[in-house]
Amino acid sequence: MAYLTQPDYVRYICTCGQLKPITSLYFCRHCLKIRCGFCICHEVDSHYCPNCLENMPSSEARLKKNRCSSCFDCPSCYHTLSTRASLVQPRQQEGAGDGKVENKHQKKMYYLACFNCRWTSRDVGIPDQPVASGGWPERPNPFATQINQLLEYYKAIALQEKQEKIEKERKKFAIRGKYLTLTDKTGLTGAMARNIAGLPSSDSGSSSIIAKFVPSQASAEVEELPEDYFTKEVNLNQITSMPQRLLSPEWQPTDVSRLHPIAKLLSVKRSQRCRECDHNLTKPEYNPGSIKFKIELLAFYHIPEVKIISYEPMKAGENSTVLLKLSNPTAHEMTLCLMNPEDIPQVDNEEEQLENSLEKSLTLDKESAACKPAAAPAWRRAAAPCVRAVGPPVRVSVPQRDDAAEYDDDATHDANDVIVWRKANKLGVRLQVATEAAASRGGAALLALALQYSYRNTVPPAANAPNQRNHILYTTALLSLGNVA
Amino acid sequence: MAHNIKILPGATVCEDCTLEGDITIGGGTVIHPRVSIIAEGGPIIIAEYCIIEEYSTIIHKKSDKQENPPKPLFIGAHNVFEVACKLESIYGHVGESNVFECRSFVGEEVKVGSGCVIGAACTLTAPQILADNTVIWGSEHHVREALEKQPSQLLQLDFLSKVMPNYHRLRKPNVHKRQPSRQSQEPSPKP
Ligand SMILES: [Zn+2]
Ligand SMILES: [Zn+2]
Ligand SMILES: [Zn+2]
Ligand SMILES: [Zn+2]
Repeated sequence: MAYLTQPDYVRYICTCGQLKPITSLYFCRHCLKIRCGFCICHEVDSHYCPNCLENMPSSEARLKKNRCSSCFDCPSCYHTLSTRASLVQPRQQEGAGDGKVENKHQKKMYYLACFNCRWTSRDVGIPDQPVASGGWPERPNPFATQINQLLEYYKAIALQEKQEKIEKERKKFAIRGKYLTLTDKTGLTGAMARNIAGLPSSDSGSSSIIAKFVPSQASAEVEELPEDYFTKEVNLNQITSMPQRLLSPEWQPTDVSRLHPIAKLLSVKRSQRCRECDHNLTKPEYNPGSIKFKIELLAFYHIPEVKIISYEPMKAGENSTVLLKLSNPTAHEMTLCLMNPEDIPQVDNEEEQLENSLEKSLTLDKESAACKPAAAPAWRRAAAPCVRAVGPPVRVSVPQRDDAAEYDDDATHDANDVIVWRKANKLGVRLQVATEAAASRGGAALLALALQYSYRNTVPPAANAPNQRNHILYTTALLSLGNVA
Repeated sequence: MAHNIKILPGATVCEDCTLEGDITIGGGTVIHPRVSIIAEGGPIIIAEYCIIEEYSTIIHKKSDKQENPPKPLFIGAHNVFEVACKLESIYGHVGESNVFECRSFVGEEVKVGSGCVIGAACTLTAPQILADNTVIWGSEHHVREALEKQPSQLLQLDFLSKVMPNYHRLRKPNVHKRQPSRQSQEPSPKP
């Protein structure tokens, strides 16, 4: 809970250089590296409506413009609208009404209502519906034809460009490789094949669309404002707010009476994939109602968690003590060593390469890639730690997580100068830190702490890979210890 | 403070609530347990078919501006006071078919019309007059005007008046129809 409601006091440095709390990090068991939302692939698994939890294939979702056809949002306050029933007596023709018929003909009619701002579909004169779901009148988009025209036009352009590109490729590879294409074998050309298949010849269709397209014209003549525009008193209750207008860009109603229920936007279930090894890091269950995951490689379950218990005020040039809580979330005993980041042994620069290729693939600014070799890691630009651990590195062993441990209370007491207490898979340690003499007063006291930890990989190794199960891994965390006093 | 509580027949009033001063509760009204109605500045009259939910507070405040003898605070029919809402008034009149949502607060010098909704946790403190069918909602106190009054809660009232006697001790109606309420006695709530 603290991770949700409080600022991030402890941030880990992701392999890509981002600073994130442990709860928003992932751990790839195959590369044994920390990943974050910034450096992994996000894939859409399925579309669903967050209100009625109906699954929708992506093609259908595209067709429906990523909106649910049976759920609506309030156009006034954006809350989900609910369907309400009311008993209506259908209007009787005069003279024809007698008591017997009246009772029989009580009919349920449905309307949409918002429980937050009490907006109802009756407010804007949408007739009540005889069925509870669906059937709500759709408001036609006044620019539908223009938009369709534009869509067709751009599709045609895309097609043309693609063909040109293929054409170019073909010319480039005038000398054929060792494979024969189907058309070579049969002596068919693409156009002939098209003809035989009964498809319209490709380029003529698209080019005619391009030729026929009329771009819209800007005109200098604008409709005059009504005479009383500046003199009429404004009733704010009748006018929509900017967010209300922008919520339905097709109509942009200026009057409250023109608000229309907004079809609910779909949500997606997404799975996340490691960019380096293409393994899944998270994969949700398919059922939209389920919030469980099939694969869930969260850092929270794999890397040691550091929490700050308390600390003495940091004074420039002086030593202070910090109390930390370390916990081992894995099912194996873990040896942990706290040290300074510069003590991490340099690994081969494979990592660097990944980082570079990653940055390229993300089309980050060239500048950062250029200054990379000389400059410090990326996170240094965002944060400058001025506190460092002193004294001999703290080396402790943390037992595995044991769900039954909370029931037995014979805590092992090996408390000493370093270990303050021990409890199941958690322990409290005392760490001596020193603040740089040059640290400015009032500045943030950031402690950069490198963690060396043993990790047992439980993934069955690939057939040809060396069967190495125990690893020594490193990670760095930045701890906010208030301000320099 | 002299207690003079009149409960009209058909009203469902739980014993476990604080009623102080001169209070009249109309028929069909349901008052849940733990409600406080305090008529310190003058009588409070609650009309028919109101729902007053748990921990709501209605106070007729004492004030120098009040004329003598004090005018009653009249609360119209079909008002709904949701859980832990608070209405303070020094004089006046609350219309009908209003909804005071959970934890809303309506201050001393607010005049509430009819069909208004004061949204959950909205606080109105400045002197103002709420026109009929005003809806206030959200932390930013958005205001809009509803087309019609809020639908009445007759079904809910019906249900509550049937169910409440099964689970709560009730105060008995002490005024009978077509009878002047002079000799009505205050029911003695057991501590
Ligand atoms: Zn990352
Ligand atoms: Zn839906
Ligand atoms: Zn709404
Ligand atoms: Zn990986």
